[in-house]
Amino acid sequence: MSTVKEDRIVLEMQHISKQFPNVLANEDVSIQLKEGEIISLLGENGAGKSTLMNVLYGLYRPSAGKIILNDEEVEFSSPKDAIEKGLGMVHQHFMLVDNLSVTENIILGSEPGKAGIIDYKSARKEVAELSEKYHLEVEPDAIIESLSVGLQQRVEILKALYRKARILILDEPTAVLTPHEVDQLFLVIKKLRDSGVSMIIITHKLEEVKAISDRVYILRRGKCEGLRNTKDVTKEDLANLMVGREVVLTVHKEKKEVTGDSIFNLENVIVKNEKGINALDGLSLNVRPGEIVGIAGVDGNGQTELAEVLMGLCKLESGRIYYKGEDISELTTKQRRNKSISNVPADRHRFGLILPMTISENMVLGFHDEKPYVHGINLALDVIHNYSEKMVKDFDIRTPGVDIPAGNLSGGNQQKVILAREFSRNPDFLLVAQPTRGLDVGAIEYIHSQILKMRDRNVGILLISLELEEIFSLSDRILVLYEGKIVKEFVPEETTDKEVGFYMTGGKKE
Amino acid sequence: MQITKLKPVFYVLAVISGIVGIVMYFSSIFSGFFFILLALIIYYLYRLLATDLKTVKSDIIPLLKNLLIPLIGMSSAIIIGAIIMALTGYDPIKAYKALFYGGFVKNWSISILNATPLVFTGLSIAFAFKAGLFNIGAEGQYYIGAMVATFLGITFNLPPVLSLFLIFIIGGLLAAAYNFIPALLKVKTGAHEVITTMMFAHIAKYLSSIFVRGMGGDSAGLHPYVTDPILDTNWLMRFKSIFPSANYRVHIGILIGIGMALLVNYILYKTTFGYEIRAIGQNKDAARGQGISVGKNIFIALLFAGFLAGFAGVTQVVGLDHKMYENLNAGYGWNGISVALLAANHPIGVIFTALLWGVLDAGGQYMTRTTQIPNSIVEIIKGIMLFLIVARYIYSWLGNRIKRKLGTRIKKSGGAK
Amino acid sequence: MEAFFAIFNTDLLVATIRLSTPITLAAVGATICEKSGIVNIAMEGMMIMGAFFAVIIAYYTGNPWLGLVGGVAAGGIFSLVHAVATVTFHLDHVVSGAVLNILSFGIVRYLMVLFFGHPGTTDPIPVGLGGYQFAIPGLSKIPVLGPMFFNQTPIIYMSFILIVGALFFLKKTKVGLHLRAAGEHPLALETIGVSVYKMRYLGVVISGLFSGLAGAYLSIENAVSFTEGMSNGRGFIALAAMISGGWTALGSFAAALFFGFADAFQIRMQIFKVLPIPAEIFIIFPYIATVIAVAGLVKKSRPPRADGIDFMIEREDG
Repeated sequence: MSTVKEDRIVLEMQHISKQFPNVLANEDVSIQLKEGEIISLLGENGAGKSTLMNVLYGLYRPSAGKIILNDEEVEFSSPKDAIEKGLGMVHQHFMLVDNLSVTENIILGSEPGKAGIIDYKSARKEVAELSEKYHLEVEPDAIIESLSVGLQQRVEILKALYRKARILILDEPTAVLTPHEVDQLFLVIKKLRDSGVSMIIITHKLEEVKAISDRVYILRRGKCEGLRNTKDVTKEDLANLMVGREVVLTVHKEKKEVTGDSIFNLENVIVKNEKGINALDGLSLNVRPGEIVGIAGVDGNGQTELAEVLMGLCKLESGRIYYKGEDISELTTKQRRNKSISNVPADRHRFGLILPMTISENMVLGFHDEKPYVHGINLALDVIHNYSEKMVKDFDIRTPGVDIPAGNLSGGNQQKVILAREFSRNPDFLLVAQPTRGLDVGAIEYIHSQILKMRDRNVGILLISLELEEIFSLSDRILVLYEGKIVKEFVPEETTDKEVGFYMTGGKKE
Repeated sequence: MQITKLKPVFYVLAVISGIVGIVMYFSSIFSGFFFILLALIIYYLYRLLATDLKTVKSDIIPLLKNLLIPLIGMSSAIIIGAIIMALTGYDPIKAYKALFYGGFVKNWSISILNATPLVFTGLSIAFAFKAGLFNIGAEGQYYIGAMVATFLGITFNLPPVLSLFLIFIIGGLLAAAYNFIPALLKVKTGAHEVITTMMFAHIAKYLSSIFVRGMGGDSAGLHPYVTDPILDTNWLMRFKSIFPSANYRVHIGILIGIGMALLVNYILYKTTFGYEIRAIGQNKDAARGQGISVGKNIFIALLFAGFLAGFAGVTQVVGLDHKMYENLNAGYGWNGISVALLAANHPIGVIFTALLWGVLDAGGQYMTRTTQIPNSIVEIIKGIMLFLIVARYIYSWLGNRIKRKLGTRIKKSGGAK
Repeated sequence: MEAFFAIFNTDLLVATIRLSTPITLAAVGATICEKSGIVNIAMEGMMIMGAFFAVIIAYYTGNPWLGLVGGVAAGGIFSLVHAVATVTFHLDHVVSGAVLNILSFGIVRYLMVLFFGHPGTTDPIPVGLGGYQFAIPGLSKIPVLGPMFFNQTPIIYMSFILIVGALFFLKKTKVGLHLRAAGEHPLALETIGVSVYKMRYLGVVISGLFSGLAGAYLSIENAVSFTEGMSNGRGFIALAAMISGGWTALGSFAAALFFGFADAFQIRMQIFKVLPIPAEIFIIFPYIATVIAVAGLVKKSRPPRADGIDFMIEREDG
């Protein structure tokens, strides 16, 4: 394949630890990267992959350990130092200036030209040459805003190459791409490797690891759990290493016969995103009482819009939404919530809680104007206080009191506050999005068992999650969401994560 | 619990004692201070009897903690002011003596008069801030309130109390209406209220010039122009009618201001409307997600802010000036920003910061008269004070600096081992 | 008809240029500031500082050119306070600007008493820049345009050059590109190794220098002394011009010219009393135009994406 010596080690991170005020994000992690090699950093959300790479890229300073680059110990105080030493990083959220051109973005910070004046002519030429050399075709004068996500990622890669990067860090590079774009990206990555660029890919997708990397480091809870040669390892092994236990259902779920008419229906729903593209493109689904319907899908296939349109937070372009047989398409968020529809939002800090307000104030958010929490125009503060104390007890929320700001709680306890608020309303339909993102195992199991409890109370539940494992362990039915449509329906017992994953990434069976 | 049955008694005692004390104090009878003190003692005694020492402590300690940074900021500003004066050849000790004597004792009545409109504009801006809005154009709503009060004050010939009541309400409502377009644009198009209300403030200033000339008055070449005086029956009551020893100009506007501050405090922390306002101010997305109407609340909040600022203009006309001057660069709206920020947007805090500003202004004038030190030093001290209190990051920045210095020293000594 | 020509003539256009110059300067400076991501509503204060110090220096040296330098420098130094407060201390930009405006009045008045013994108006400087009116040979003979653009006083010429300079700076230079990136996507700039803090400091100080020059124009070119309140809200009109101009240098210039015209027209209306309309109606015109502009009725105007948004580098040590 490549002609470079496979054995020369270009980068070594030795015994890296990174302590944040409250978290030990990395603990004694060591990795090696050889010239012209692709390694993966595999791990769940919060395993410390990004922190490690940010340490490497000079965004964080390590608390302990050292970095050896081309046999020389280096200390980066900013990304600038890292860039100068030949490192490049393609961030998950692109570092591109939207209203500047491709050329301007690529040359930013290292512009050609004398006396502080940019030589646009030679810049454009260099960019064109570079994109030709690596087969990364892109229009040099296009404005970033007008480009697709895949093309924007190309600009990011070109930006690193323009700075003569020999080591490229790619942070979740496929997270936002379409399958076709993923294929193209993999081609680009292989070409780069052939020209001697070493790469570190941060990912939590097993497929990707198998597809492109030579070796894989597995991270779990900040520690390195192992190193494998990709060709010698099965996906099951990787999965076990990644989650640290046999992948089994974390909670005991009893099979249950679901009968009765559906409680919640979406019919041909179309929602446009801010760019005017159909984020939901004629989506239909139904949820029956007492069942959990899991929406599986790669991020960015319409999950956000689905949650929003259910709660009346974005405009329904066309289609209808029925709840208990009644058309609720035109109702406001408030009216929907009053019809015993509850919602656990995906981003709890942004949409679930008001962090500076107290726990008891958060506990009645959205219901603060209903009996018994209101007395005339006033809040019934005593009632709210007592209710909150009861909830804290019932849901095992660890807090010194109900009058402290919600922002002072840990993530798991914050999520419990939301569950307490939403579940105690005795809903008939429940929308749960990403309920366990970033939480520890204990909290995850607790939250899963609470969700199942709601199912046993005959509540219809729609679960949107990016974690396939979560979908499998909770759902009675799995719907695969791809490009704003439900492309396939499964029963978890009769399928595999591989099959679901196949449809999630746009695969089709004849 | 028997003591809880006595709750109303304690409350009534505390309130009466407090009101008596405040009214006496505002009438320059400084022994009123003891009644205010008494009110506080009764209140906390009641709290102590009804609950326990721990609860009372947890009431008071955060309060004192919150006062720490303002106190540091104030004293630093006073010290910096002293240095500036010393460097430019003035005697800072003499200056501050005159400043505080003038502000707190000699010209206490002027301090109150200065503070009165600031309470209202400060409340207006603080309330808007709570909803996440910056009502920077309170000055404009002030002008509207003043114009309405002048117009109605001249034309209304009704029974005194009714007429005053109507003037306040109509003045407030029209000032609120003046925020209608900024509020509408904010909700419908997202136009930033800082820009729109600021522009409207400038427009109001020029409209007031037209108004003043239109309302007749003494335009015989005299500059600035001034309107006809309002009818005597429309004058706001003065403290002098309660305590004859009070200054003849001090009116009960400050009491209305304090009442308004209590009302705003009540709205913000006890009512569902206030709850929604605070929720939106702190996290618009979460509030919207839980079904709170953001647009409606923002709209109402801006109008209510206008209403409060309008009261400042009304009070000033019916209470103190009894007519309206052209090109009067009072700046109560602009200074209201300082007052609100200094109080960290807490309505009760606004009363005190407005009084502080009033004291500094009145004391500054007295200082200039008696010591010839220019009172603009007060403006400079005010500005520095504001910076030091509002830019809280300064303190964590300083803290980090010190920590880092200590840290390197420890590292060094550690390395020597 | 006679009245019509008494108002609409070349003099009106010449006056338009003169009245718009301080607005143009402050607005173009503010454009650069906001491009870097810092909201600036303190042009009024910076102008006042510039105007006052221009007079002070010119008064004591007898040289208006040194006064000009002093005024520009004063604006720049005063703007540093805004930069420190907003960039280093992460204070809300609007709050800082509002405080600075209030502070400038206090400082100038204090110094005025210190230097001249009284507030109000300073003693006149021996010679102002207004005396250096200079007609460019040939070009100034062009009808209408000649008197407007080629027979003016020094700071007006400078303002023309500075507009071109600002455009060139933003579009063609490396620093200009960095500065624009700082206002659009600061993290992107920081991660490739250019300091966002530095760019934002630069943006604020450029705005201070421009506003200082605008102030100097008012006090030592358009007049020969400093009077309190002489800026008369022009800093806010400059803000209005910048917004109406869609956060661009050329747009700001165009809006400033328009507002200058409204002002010149208003003055003539007052003098000739053609229509029984209060002059204020014309004075408030720029403010109304701005409200219309921010209401989104003017297309394609959006502030830089990170304008007014604090940027904090988290590089704590564990």
